[in-house]
Amino acid sequence: MTASQINGLPVVTVHGGDDVAEVRDVIYNPEAGRLVGLTLNKRGFFSGRSREVLPAEAIHAIGRDAVMIADESSLVAPADAPDDVGHPATDRNVIGNDVLTEGGTSLGVVRDLALLVGSAGEVVGYQIEKPAGGHGYIPLPAQLAVSGAALVVPDVTQEFIRDDLVGLGAAVDDFRARLGMQ
Amino acid sequence: MGALDWLIIFLVLLAVAAAAFVVIRRRRRGGGVFATRGKP
Repeated sequence: MTASQINGLPVVTVHGGDDVAEVRDVIYNPEAGRLVGLTLNKRGFFSGRSREVLPAEAIHAIGRDAVMIADESSLVAPADAPDDVGHPATDRNVIGNDVLTEGGTSLGVVRDLALLVGSAGEVVGYQIEKPAGGHGYIPLPAQLAVSGAALVVPDVTQEFIRDDLVGLGAAVDDFRARLGMQ
Repeated sequence: MGALDWLIIFLVLLAVAAAAFVVIRRRRRGGGVFATRGKP
């Protein structure tokens, strides 16, 4: 699934099945390749932003239809959350960032994050808009070196661009195994 | 009141409802994917 599919999902408790919030924004650590938390909206059409946030450590699972947490105590005040979650850098939206190989080839622009379904937020790839047009998916290493201006990926990434999420799922393990051999 | 007056009242109410809808949607707008330190 993708990060944009998480936005708007209900946050539901495992113990009780209560629908306690709705996902507003996704906060992502590109160096660790995982989500670090979610900001939230209150439930209900007329409700606005929730003051509480959800750190990734408190996420039980991210499914296709809901984000599961143990209970309502998993939602914490910004002051009690890691700083990146409590006070997200809203000027650091990864959507729209360029993806460059280490050899200097542009693979396109980031359009979304691809996550493992059922995990607590492991990011396995990016959905990109290719320079020639059209969408594709690229796998990411388990840990990613980052630069200041663009996402820089290994040259071999070009060989693992896939057209859909199913193809990406199969490519991630092969891609990481290939990196391990280099 | 004539038909024109009712039409004006209807249009004003419609504009107010549309403005309220836009305000509510903006309050709930999100959908960002924000990076932590070390922006890619």
